[in-house]
Amino acid sequence: MNIALTRTKAETALTEQFERIADALPGDARVLDARKSAIGTFASLGLPHRRIEEWKYTDLRQAVKEAGTASVTAGDASEAMLSAALGPLSGVDAYRLVFVDAQFNADMSRVPEAGVRFETLATALSSGEFDVASAGLRAGPSATGVVTLNTALMTDGAVLDIAPGTVLDKPLLIVQLKSDTSSTWTSLRSQIRVGKDAQVTILEAAVAGPDAAIGQRNHLTDIRVGDRAEVTHVIAGMQDGDTVLVNIVSTIGEASNYRPFFFTAGPTLVRNQLAVEFAGEDAKFDCSGAFLGRGSAHIDNTLIIDHAVPGGESRELFKGVLDDRARGVFQGKVIVRQIAQKTDGKQMAQALMLSEDSEFDSKPELEIYADDVACGHGSTCTEVEPDHVFYLRARGIPEAAARALLVEAFIAEAIEKIQHTDLADALGDVARQWLRQKAASTAETL
Amino acid sequence: MLEIKNLHVKLADEDKTIINGLSLSVPKGQVHAIMGPNGSGKSTLAYVLAGREDYEVTDGEILWNGEDILDMEPEERAASGVFLAFQYPIEIPGVAGMTFLRTAVNALRASRGEAEMSTPDFLKRVKAKGAELNVDIEMLKRPVNVGFSGGEKKRSEILQMAMLEPTLCVLDETDSGLDIDALRIVADGVNALRSPDRAMLVITHYQRLLNYIVPDQVHVLAHGRIQKSGGKELAQELEKSGYAEYVGRAA
Repeated sequence: MNIALTRTKAETALTEQFERIADALPGDARVLDARKSAIGTFASLGLPHRRIEEWKYTDLRQAVKEAGTASVTAGDASEAMLSAALGPLSGVDAYRLVFVDAQFNADMSRVPEAGVRFETLATALSSGEFDVASAGLRAGPSATGVVTLNTALMTDGAVLDIAPGTVLDKPLLIVQLKSDTSSTWTSLRSQIRVGKDAQVTILEAAVAGPDAAIGQRNHLTDIRVGDRAEVTHVIAGMQDGDTVLVNIVSTIGEASNYRPFFFTAGPTLVRNQLAVEFAGEDAKFDCSGAFLGRGSAHIDNTLIIDHAVPGGESRELFKGVLDDRARGVFQGKVIVRQIAQKTDGKQMAQALMLSEDSEFDSKPELEIYADDVACGHGSTCTEVEPDHVFYLRARGIPEAAARALLVEAFIAEAIEKIQHTDLADALGDVARQWLRQKAASTAETL
Repeated sequence: MLEIKNLHVKLADEDKTIINGLSLSVPKGQVHAIMGPNGSGKSTLAYVLAGREDYEVTDGEILWNGEDILDMEPEERAASGVFLAFQYPIEIPGVAGMTFLRTAVNALRASRGEAEMSTPDFLKRVKAKGAELNVDIEMLKRPVNVGFSGGEKKRSEILQMAMLEPTLCVLDETDSGLDIDALRIVADGVNALRSPDRAMLVITHYQRLLNYIVPDQVHVLAHGRIQKSGGKELAQELEKSGYAEYVGRAA
């Protein structure tokens, strides 16, 4: 069936903007060709919409009404602005790679001295060696619309090579701080290569200064985890009102341990999509997330887990709190290929509904072609347990505080999955602040 | 002084009367026991005192120190000194016992206009109370009641009671599911809290608990009202004759 597509205002704007800024985008002629090809694909596909199975709960064409200006520059930012925007995360002792709007900011960054080679994407794109196509191919067909747009418009990002055996003493924070007071559409791409036996904790955070306009971010991170390497990879979306499209494309090596964590509190339209390919045997993938939504927030976490080799272990735990008309989406696709015997997969998605109008759509998809595997999935959707509330109130804890304590405990179970204690504590604080905003705003209306 | 006058209670979402004209007074400094067969309304009375929402009071009043508590929220009752030791303490995953207890202590302090207790002061106090009651406070590091044995749950209730220092203690079948050693620890804990300022209502099916917590008065509850009141010897009488006399008789 051919569907004649009328381009939406946002789609047209994005395509036109590419024409306008193409010359200002970094990269050599080869990269420019790749960008042109990508925008051509985007122009024919448009933003993903509900007729694409993987996007049936998250219709971007419908939801993205306006596109901000495709940004190629950086606005004014200061250390104080960054600290305030990071909130509790600013207290975590970490290396920092800071991107202000669309560009790297060297002054505010603290690059690790040993074991890590860093260059900006802007530099890498001009080197003639950067593989533009790889991430898109591994992201899978359902990501094409979003990834091609990223390819066409990407301005900067972190290109990191972590040497084999490196044990980074502090987490590495890759942060994008938005400062622009007019609405922008930013496109960052990072590429992280973690060498064999290395151990790192990476946090990617999307935050905003006090006067930054609400806008859109379309970010892609391509990560390869070497054999026996251990990587904690936290992705945090924290700007109120933002649209955040994240693609994590990962390939994990033999006996490696990759632990991604998606944290969302603030943005109103979110699609976190992660594709992981088990490239070496006996690797462990332990992915979890916490999502907090209120108002009309729509938060989608979609995973595509490809057990392509034997002996892999995958674990997913996502927990969300949904209030008002907020909607949560979890899609967990697990493919176990015929040769991937002894695969062990478990998946759980849980939502706590604070309002009658909230919605949670949870879709596990297990495609198993091997016969000696253990795979399970589960999903729950609950209200705060009245018995729990009564027990706390009977001990003198006022109802609002009792509910807050229970909701915090619910989300804490997911956050505890982050093994870096300072980072887990900081995100716990961010979650608590978010939850208490609600308590405060309810108190005002009473 | 606790005064329950002509109390009538039905289930909130069902047309079923459970308490049917119950009257009872417990002066400060006294321990009263309520005994009764299964289904007589014992646990309902405990829950109604604590303010659980599943019940509807259709008539009567409950006065605590002259104040009608039926209009109060559960937390307001707790602030006025009411404490229910649950027959089945609720398991709360994810909330550490220590956090729970400190939040409760500070909520009660806030209700009295007192400043928050600092963490070191709180810990010192928990340790002291734990030692006094022979309760291992290690269990407070775990989520509230999660995976606790029956005995641990009841000891945890008594420790909470000691920390919150209520003036009206309602113990709902605190003896159920306890072996004799656990029973003794729990009973010692309760006895340690007996004081001239405190009224206690001990609800039990069996007389056994009353060997350890000796009551000033015993009331027999059946068919939703007090059928007989007497001294501690009434409990021994019931132990011999059972509840047959009360079960068969229409209210």
